[in-house]
Amino acid sequence: MNEVEELVELAKFYFLNKNFEEAIKKYEEALKLSPKDGRIYYNLGIVYESMNIVDKAKQNFRLALELDDTLTGAQEHLDKLIGE
Amino acid sequence: MRHIVVIGLGKFGSAIAETLSNKEHEVMVIDRDEKRVEKLEPLVTQALVLDATDEDALRAAGMKDFDVAIVSVGEDTEASILITMLLKELGVKEVVTKATDQLHAKILKKVGCDRVVFPERDMGQRLAESLMSTKIFDYIELSSTHSLIEIDAPESLEGKTLKETELRSKYGVSAIAVKRKTPIIKEDGDTEFREVTIIAPSADEEIQKGDRLCLLGRNEDLEKLKTL
Repeated sequence: MNEVEELVELAKFYFLNKNFEEAIKKYEEALKLSPKDGRIYYNLGIVYESMNIVDKAKQNFRLALELDDTLTGAQEHLDKLIGE
Repeated sequence: MRHIVVIGLGKFGSAIAETLSNKEHEVMVIDRDEKRVEKLEPLVTQALVLDATDEDALRAAGMKDFDVAIVSVGEDTEASILITMLLKELGVKEVVTKATDQLHAKILKKVGCDRVVFPERDMGQRLAESLMSTKIFDYIELSSTHSLIEIDAPESLEGKTLKETELRSKYGVSAIAVKRKTPIIKEDGDTEFREVTIIAPSADEEIQKGDRLCLLGRNEDLEKLKTL
């Protein structure tokens, strides 16, 4: 497991335990090492949405889709937040 | 206080502008039609006769300083898309645009619209109420005195049971449901959350981070909650 994967695993662990602040920190660290990974933005968006921080959630879902338009989950969440 | 600009003064736009002004927000209204602008002028902070599809005119009107723009330009789909795009480019933080159908909504999202509304689903006044506070997601007026609102659980209530929050004893407001997001991992390894609604929660239910509360109460009591 490389460093990025380790950070993402850790972020997911924190997220599952509802320690959202730490999850964000770990995803951001992972993004510094791997800034073109749309999946990380998607997962970060999920953390922000869980905290009801809608602006940041939308921003991350958009970035995820810009980098990887196959991330249908990001599109679904973005649609829901913007209002269909 | 939020700085709000309403573009397009048909029934929907006028209703929003009027409701927001009554709530003492800084409201600017814009329309191409002089008569419509004149009608609202006494009620709002500033009223301009202007073609909102003109980028230079919008810039000169100081769009970058607005927190929210509401675009409601009737059936003119093309104009509403162009205006939405221009407003985002000029730096308006939140652009809310009225859509006529799903295709229109889809294009609006592509050009950066932050929220799409359908007038038949979101009455002008109701949208205005939800804009009062960024925390309020939904608002239903049950009578002239009582409403049902859905808000983010304020941080100050996290970790407290409903009883400890004193929502009912101190604020006279009843929590009729708690919407909670439970984090999960999907089969593909990505994260997701499952939304569970706890209807008629018990007094021992503890408020968690990310919860949304559905509250029922008198309008003035609900208003007080915004200071929590």
